[in-house]
Amino acid sequence: MDKGPFVCTGCALLCDDITVDLQDNRVIGVNTACLKGVSRMKGCSSPMTCTVDGKTVDVDTAIKEAARILEEAKHPLIFGHGNSTLEAQKKSIELARELGAHIDDTSSFCQGPLVEAILNEKIPTCTLDEVRHMADVIVFWGADPSHSHPRHLSMYSYFPRGKQRQRGWEEDRTAVIIDVRRSDTAAVCGDKLYEIPVGADPEFMDALLNALASKVPKTSFNMDPKRILELANILKKAEFGVVFAGLGMTYSLDSLEPLFRLMDKLNETAKFHLIPMVGQYNMRGFDHTLFRETGHINRVYFGGEEVEHGPQRSVVELIRNNIIDAAMIIGSDPLASLPGPLAKKLSKIPLITIDPCENLTSRISKVTIPSALSGVECGGTAIRMDGVEVVLKQIIETNRLTDEKIIARIMEEI
Amino acid sequence: MGFGQFLTEPEFKLIIVTHRDVFQNTAQENSRFGEQYAERSSVIRLDKDDMKKMGVKAGDLVVAKNASGRVVLKAESSTLEQSHPGTAFMINGPWANALVAADTGGTGVPAFKNIEVMLSRSKGEKVTSLAELI
Repeated sequence: MDKGPFVCTGCALLCDDITVDLQDNRVIGVNTACLKGVSRMKGCSSPMTCTVDGKTVDVDTAIKEAARILEEAKHPLIFGHGNSTLEAQKKSIELARELGAHIDDTSSFCQGPLVEAILNEKIPTCTLDEVRHMADVIVFWGADPSHSHPRHLSMYSYFPRGKQRQRGWEEDRTAVIIDVRRSDTAAVCGDKLYEIPVGADPEFMDALLNALASKVPKTSFNMDPKRILELANILKKAEFGVVFAGLGMTYSLDSLEPLFRLMDKLNETAKFHLIPMVGQYNMRGFDHTLFRETGHINRVYFGGEEVEHGPQRSVVELIRNNIIDAAMIIGSDPLASLPGPLAKKLSKIPLITIDPCENLTSRISKVTIPSALSGVECGGTAIRMDGVEVVLKQIIETNRLTDEKIIARIMEEI
Repeated sequence: MGFGQFLTEPEFKLIIVTHRDVFQNTAQENSRFGEQYAERSSVIRLDKDDMKKMGVKAGDLVVAKNASGRVVLKAESSTLEQSHPGTAFMINGPWANALVAADTGGTGVPAFKNIEVMLSRSKGEKVTSLAELI
């Protein structure tokens, strides 16, 4: 048996230094991982069972019923993908093509715009390993990694003594945080917290632009211009700067233009990169895969003469406008993560859930098919939040099928 | 049954900002249906002065509602040092999401972190359960 180290699939940091204690083909201990990672890798307490209409069935019956639902639907949606391997994601796109279906993932209402901008080379980016070894100015913007990616600061962004940052956080690194609240990450950044009102991110970007151009930065929320000028000074001098963009920033930007302007300006005098704080372990992987195949990262419809894409093809608008008449959800829980009124609408159409664990969506699904937990019960590949491909290894045996195999079997039935 | 029961509780306009929480996430990894997940997801953290104004004490139950939904939550005092009147914080989850509007102005991205609600004291209700949400 492989002794590891293994990769944790608890979030898109994909920590690759994990060792485990096993007993009777069960993970009973997880070392090195964060709280969330330990909980993920030990497996949930409510594993999903294989059902059709709430009755326990064998997996063949469930797969046949899933195929029937998808085949009969005029506008099926395949959604989720953030907790599946690249191999499963490829298979899912193949199925969507064959069905002429809608396909989307959680990036549609998450970090999609930033991943898209990076893939289209509109924002300079770098890897987390480069951050560990080189970054001297680290900006957390609308992000709280202490909670969302608990080992972010210790593995990569702040505490490590990197090759060129041997004096670590004490002398070599400056961490800045821009946020609407004093989060636990803000506590680490000390007096470098720039507290802004909700939604004021684009305004603060423009103020910073002014400060970088040595103009007096004014804000409608009266932040002391001196403080903004101080920040501009820190950013200007960065040898290797990085902005970790959280959802707090992404949700506040109606357009990415203010961010593009800021990144361009920063790169006139310093070297600045951006990494989006992606949540689910392989959300970015789905975006890369679909982008390679269609030129779009998400929100795609294969039912037209040509591949269609746009906000009207997003999971949210498809549900809101009553377009879809069946949905297959893979490794996601839209009933928990969508706005309440949309969750209610989604629950009215036939749903198929593929997941290792029971969730809100599976409870109201017509078909549930339990799958192997990736990184524990099956291997594969995934793309980390910084775009680096990571290989996942299988740790324990299971009789549950992988997402990839389940989708392949559904395709065979269609 | 006192007279007060028939009086409407005053309502206060607030913006809810959601955020992540490692303990809630850990609980969620174990089970979406566990007590700890529900407990952490159904707390609203308010500014201390706002609480005084509303006559709400830590641990009191409050009703948050808008055109999208209505949930009963447990009010707690904010742990933040600075005051933030008019803004409340909640951990991202089905309780907060119940209040998020479906209308996105065509962008496909709901306002998960900027939710306008009316908040009032609850009258003898229980915290909304997960079952009630689905």
